[in-house]
Formats: sequence, C-alpha cells, structure tokens
Amino acid sequence: MIDFVQNTIDGVMIGSSYALLALGFTLIFGVMRRLNLSYGPSIMIGAYLGTLVYVQLSAGPLVVVAVTVIGAVLAGVYVERLCFAPMAAGAGIASMVSSFAIWMQLEQAAILVLPQHTYPFPPLATVAPLELGPFLLRVDHLIMLAAALALSAAVYLLLYRSRFGLALRAIIENPTAAHLVGINVKAAVMLAFALASAVGGIAGYLVLAADQQVTPMFGMWATFKGLIAMMIGGLGSIPGAIVGGLVLGVVEAHSQWHFGPQVRDLVAYLLLFACLVLRPGGLLGRAPPMREPAFGRRGA
Amino acid sequence: MDDYLVGVLSNIGIISFVALSAYLLLLTGEISFGQQAFFAIGAYAAGIATALWGWPLSAALGWGAATAGAAAILVGIPTLRLHGLYFAIATLAFAEMVRLLFELFRYQLTIDGELVGPNGSDGFRGIRYIFENDVSSLQFLVLIYLLLIIALVAFMLLERSRLGVTFRMIGEDATLAELNGVAVARIKVLAAGLAGALAGIGGGLYAHLTTYVEPRIFDVMLGVHSLAYGLIGGLGTALGPLLGVVIDIGLLESVRVFAGYRMIIFGGLVAVLLIVRPRGLLDERAVHYLSRVWRR
Repeated sequence: MIDFVQNTIDGVMIGSSYALLALGFTLIFGVMRRLNLSYGPSIMIGAYLGTLVYVQLSAGPLVVVAVTVIGAVLAGVYVERLCFAPMAAGAGIASMVSSFAIWMQLEQAAILVLPQHTYPFPPLATVAPLELGPFLLRVDHLIMLAAALALSAAVYLLLYRSRFGLALRAIIENPTAAHLVGINVKAAVMLAFALASAVGGIAGYLVLAADQQVTPMFGMWATFKGLIAMMIGGLGSIPGAIVGGLVLGVVEAHSQWHFGPQVRDLVAYLLLFACLVLRPGGLLGRAPPMREPAFGRRGA
Repeated sequence: MDDYLVGVLSNIGIISFVALSAYLLLLTGEISFGQQAFFAIGAYAAGIATALWGWPLSAALGWGAATAGAAAILVGIPTLRLHGLYFAIATLAFAEMVRLLFELFRYQLTIDGELVGPNGSDGFRGIRYIFENDVSSLQFLVLIYLLLIIALVAFMLLERSRLGVTFRMIGEDATLAELNGVAVARIKVLAAGLAGALAGIGGGLYAHLTTYVEPRIFDVMLGVHSLAYGLIGGLGTALGPLLGVVIDIGLLESVRVFAGYRMIIFGGLVAVLLIVRPRGLLDERAVHYLSRVWRR
C-alpha cells in the first residue's frame, strides 16, 4: 500500500513535467491545427545552449533558464518559418512531415556543437527530499508540479481573458474572417508559436534540472512524452494536457515499478495506440473530423 | 566491384523496399511513420526461418513477407477509421511498440552446440545463411536487385491497372471514391497489407546481409527516412522513392564531404522540397512530361 501511494506520488510528479510539455504542444495544435514534431528538439537546442553557458561560463541558474528559454523560442520560430508559415492552408500533414525533417537537422546541429553524449545541467534544488510520514517528496519535483499548474493557469487566462487570446481564438475559429476584421494573423500565429516554445523551454529546464544532465536523446524524449500526454488528454485542450500528463506519469510509474523500464515505455505507447483507436479526440478533446483535406494535391 | 561499392548498392536496394512500402501508402493518401515495424518483423521472421528452422532462403524471404503483411493487415483494421495525423501517430505508436516487444523477445535454440536466436535487446546474432551456402556478396546484390526489379515491374503494372487507379482515387478524395462505389475500407487494408509485405521482404534481405539484427536499428528515424524518400523523389512514379534513396544513401551517406552534415542537408532538403514541390521531384506532372518526351 505504501509502495502504491509512493508510486502514485512519483507518477504525479513526473507527470507534471509531461503536462508542461503537453501544454506547449497543445497550444501550437490548438492555434494551427497542426502537429509540430520538432517541438522537443527545439527545446533541446535551448537546453544545449543553457548547458553551454553553464559549462563554459559557469553561469548561474537564472542565466541558464533565460538562455534555455530564449534558445527554445529561437529554434521554435525557425521551425515555424520553415515548416508552418510557407505551407498552404490545409497542408497540415506536409507541415508535420517537414517538422520531422527539421527534427533531424536540429538534433545533428546540437551534436555538432557539443559532441559528447552527456553534459551536466545545473540542479534546481539540492535540499533533501521532504518526508511526509512514510512518503518522500522531492523539492524540485514539487516546483515542477507548481510550475505546471501555474503555467497552465496563465496560458488559460491569456487565451480567455486577454485581447491577444481573443485574437488567437478568432484565428482558431476562422483565419480568413479574423484577417478581415483586422487581426494580423501571421504575427499572432508566430507569437503563439514563440509562446509555446517558451513554455516548452521552461518545461525542459525543469526536467533537466531534476535529472542534472542533458543528452541528445532529450529532443525525442520531450516530443514523444508531450505528444502522448497531449493525445491522451485531448488535442488542443489545456485541461486535457494536464490530465493527460498526469495520467501518463502515474501509469508509467506503476508499470515501471511492476515490470521495469522497457515495459513502461511499451505501456505508454499502448496507451497512446488504444486511445487513438478507441477515442481519437482524447479524454477531454473533440473528436477529429473524419476527412481532413489531403496534403499537396496533385496539380495544385 | 570493390566491397564498399557493393555494400552501398546493397543498402540502397534494401532500403528501397521500405521506401516503396511507405510510397504505396502515400498513394492512398496516408502518411505512415511506422513502416520500419514491418521491416523489423520481416527481418526477424526470415532470420528465424533460416537460422533456427533451417529453411532455404527463398522460403524464408516469403515467410518474412507473409508475416509482415499479415501484421500490417491486423494493424490496418483498427486504424482504418483514422486519417491524416491521427493515422500517422497511430502507426508511430505501433512501430515503437513493435520495437520494444523485440527488446523483450527471446527465442533461442541450440544449433551446433551454440545458442542461436533473438535475445531481447542484445539482438539476434548468427543469421549465417549466406556464409554457410557460399553466397558471395555480389551474388546477394544481384538477388536484391532482382527482387527490387520484380517489385518495380509489379508497381508499373499496378499503376496501369484498375486497382492502381483506385489507390490514387482514394488518395485524392476518399469520400468521392466511396460515393463512386469503391470499397474504401477494404482497398485500404489491402494497400496496408501489400506495403507491409514489401517492407518485410526488405527486412528479410537486410537480416541475411548483415547476419545480425537488433531492435535499436528499427527506430522511428528509419521510418521517417523511408517516408521522406517518397516525398523527395516524387509521388508520380515508383521510381520516385528510389531516387530519394539514391540521393540520401548514395550521395549524402556515402560521400565523405557530407559526413556529419548528412542530417542537416537531408532535413533541410525535405523541408524545402515540401514547400516548392509538395509532391516531390518526380511528381505526376513531371512524369507526364517525361513520358511525352520519351515517346517523341
């Protein structure tokens, strides 16, 4: 019983990092109706720049956070310019494939700059874990959970209580009509992309600070965990991102405890597959339209 | 021919099977990130057949193709009602599941006093059919290209057949095809099965060429590459994906100058081509133009 509760606690904690990753993912999907698979690798670019200033200039944590977020935003905007802005309306699949191609590019660029496999990342909190009766709580994990809740609340407020959010929601409803009433659609979309990358950058910083190291696998890890969490919760839904992240974290923690890390990953993909087949809209999202426009039609 | 050239050409031939497999699904309008799963299934099935059961190579390759095709049909049925990015992510999830299952898969027999067979994440060693039967690497190369030519001829015939037209029709507009009386669901399962079998043949050849497979090879990057080959080379003809493979493996991977920058060039190439030529270099228009020039 104690193990069960401790596993659930650990699951919620790691799940909050998945929720943070899913939040940025879902923001991009909500605005563009497109998947950005380069999301994780662009966070990794930020993280690599962060570790570079940490290792080379022994910068403090605040500088590392700033550099990580700025790097993630710059890489995110690069992805948006190359994979999303030039694609015709309705060519969402082309954007997805293109962002996968850019993923390879970003990963190789990171390896070219820092060729070792592992680099240290500055820890967030080195204090001992809190003890609550028989249970242990890591302080950096608590910060992660608090950040997940605070950031999703902030994004929610931004979308539903600000003029910028109103403009974004207008674009989601109908980009042409939004353009006609004077909204600068291109600028708003780019800003949303930058915002999502910034959220991703913060998520990446918190995860890596808890792990205290960064490897080239981080990009793939971030994309897959964020993607699975978002898909389970519901594409484009902010509460869905939180719920999906926490569900994924708890399921992973329990399956790791009982069956080991390989089965843990297997269960995560099984959850994603089952969710797509049985409930493609996710737990809290809307079901997708049956037929989306094909991509790159012939003769078009 | 020197060994390096034979190696590169063999690689190009084998990867072409996965590229053709992804291309077949692209024709029906679906993006699959998961064709590497069927490549893996074909590799393991064919390897087990020769190394553990003592089958001849031809039967083993057929068995690999059949297993991969059957697996593709089994996945095709539940994922049928998905479309676009949902289908793509479902195939991605499936392929990763297959890879992780092979990490856990153990099936070993003692052959000539030695344990042979898949051993989880340590991989599957000792698929020595071509050494035991004195097949030279040149002969194996000929076998690869013979099978590839058969596949290409089958594609050419398919493109002229009613079935090929139906595939493209579904790719253009599945609803319209359905309204015209095409059994879209059944045709899509058929396409998925054929694509799986094609990748399975490639996998069987791969296992026997390298004599060793491990689950790590069949990761998502292989799937994305094979998809990208069709998108670079073109969706107008089955030669399109082959052109993509030649550009990537023949040029970027094998020429020294590009070492270390392969992914940067390849990734950028895919992204730029998707903007300027969304259906690849050899798209339908280019193929039509070339065939008119050819006939003149």
